[in-house]
Amino acid sequence: VTIPATTAVLHRPRTVGEAVRMLADAVDADLLAGGTDLVPALRSGDRRPRAIVALRRVLELRALGAGPDALTIGAGVTYTELADWPLAPGLAATARVVGSAQIRNVGTVGGALGTANPRGDLLTFLAAADAEVLLRSTTGPRTVRLPAFLSAGCRRGELVTAVRLPRPSGPQVYLKIGGRQAAYPALVSCALLVDRVRNTVSCAIGGIASQPLRAPAAETFAAAEIDWVAVARSEPGRVAVARSEPGRVAADAAETRIARRFGELVAEAARLAEPALPDGPRTPAGYRWHAAGVLAGRALARALPGADR
Amino acid sequence: VTAPPSPPAAGAVTGRRVLAGTAGVERADDGGIATYHLHVDGALHPVAGAWIGESLLTVLRDRLGFTAVKDACEQGRCGSCSVLVDGRLVAACTMLAADASDARVTTPAGLPAGGPARAVRAAFLREGAVQCGFCTPGFVVAVTELLSRRPDADEDEIRESLAGNICRCTGYGRIIAAIRAAQDTLRGGAPDRAPGVENRR
Repeated sequence: VTIPATTAVLHRPRTVGEAVRMLADAVDADLLAGGTDLVPALRSGDRRPRAIVALRRVLELRALGAGPDALTIGAGVTYTELADWPLAPGLAATARVVGSAQIRNVGTVGGALGTANPRGDLLTFLAAADAEVLLRSTTGPRTVRLPAFLSAGCRRGELVTAVRLPRPSGPQVYLKIGGRQAAYPALVSCALLVDRVRNTVSCAIGGIASQPLRAPAAETFAAAEIDWVAVARSEPGRVAVARSEPGRVAADAAETRIARRFGELVAEAARLAEPALPDGPRTPAGYRWHAAGVLAGRALARALPGADR
Repeated sequence: VTAPPSPPAAGAVTGRRVLAGTAGVERADDGGIATYHLHVDGALHPVAGAWIGESLLTVLRDRLGFTAVKDACEQGRCGSCSVLVDGRLVAACTMLAADASDARVTTPAGLPAGGPARAVRAAFLREGAVQCGFCTPGFVVAVTELLSRRPDADEDEIRESLAGNICRCTGYGRIIAAIRAAQDTLRGGAPDRAPGVENRR
């Protein structure tokens, strides 16, 4: 084994305070969370940071918190832990389809944000949920909205400590397509969240642009077509019937039409998204735009009771 | 699969030490060479002169000789190097060995005798769930972990739980059959008849 001159120090802090002091003192330090990205990259030589700050023992980062309006997820929480969290069923369903059991047992929320792979499952869901990223450095805490975090990243010496998102108040659906799930990130992913308190639909698509894309025109269309009065009376898991279509059969047809139109609007938004991810040899942009529309239509149909699923 | 390079001769690296700092901070220094202990299969193993960037897989196989942990993709995708770390199933190639020095590591050869491992190994042999055998130790770890947690897992859950273990020979049919048979054995059904399991190494 050739010993590279570079990665020379391993820090193993036990608290966030220690971790940010080490980050502030280190020149060129990589954070190590679950290791699923960094450790293979060290082996292949793709990464050679001067120092590594390993966060596995920082128990402060591993807390799940629930307030009256918001959920807070520590950066060290693993996908396996998220998948078992009854307070966030949509997020749990998303976490359950990340990678393999081996990946979910170690991969963390903070790692997903730190790596910020534009095809990351969790980022798509968090983008639809209007999540905020909580950061700490030796100068104190800072909170940024997810799109700003994904554009600018951490400042020097900053550590992601948690993400915060609103408590769910309606059906949430996560769908993706791609290669073998256990081994590869999704090609295109879609998170759709219905808020039955604010009467809104939010939808994010991963795999199209350099960060998850929102489709405001499609979201506005869906919110306008849903009969929110009927929503209040419907069973908790499902949203509602469409507006102004009397009778069950007619309502089912209306929901199918709404889901199809919603998908078209999402595909349109995908076509216009910038900066676009590059085409792969088997993954041209046209295919991914189409897939975005199909997934979004399917996701809305799953949230509506009568539409084709 | 390319054989990994052999480790440096003992004593090739001089001046190694581990700095135990204040406030529970540990760090290795001197060009990233560290000395620490790993708790593997119930015993403490000294690791001397290892680069801090080495994975748990590299240290287990190349430095400590735990060759039941197989080395294939080194990207966390194939499951060949599956081990238990504090009871959780992980791919050893995605974990930094020096960061595992306070954990209990269990390799395929060290699975607890009181758990489902014996029935799982026997069922793999009896049902023909092994062809080239390279993926088998990783499967045995993953299946043992699953059945100790979820003894009555149905086929959907079994397939979902094993999605991170790739077998290029069997097509998975015999593996699933072996797991169903192991479940029967563990429920007190069919007797465990496979010979020679205890001498597999």
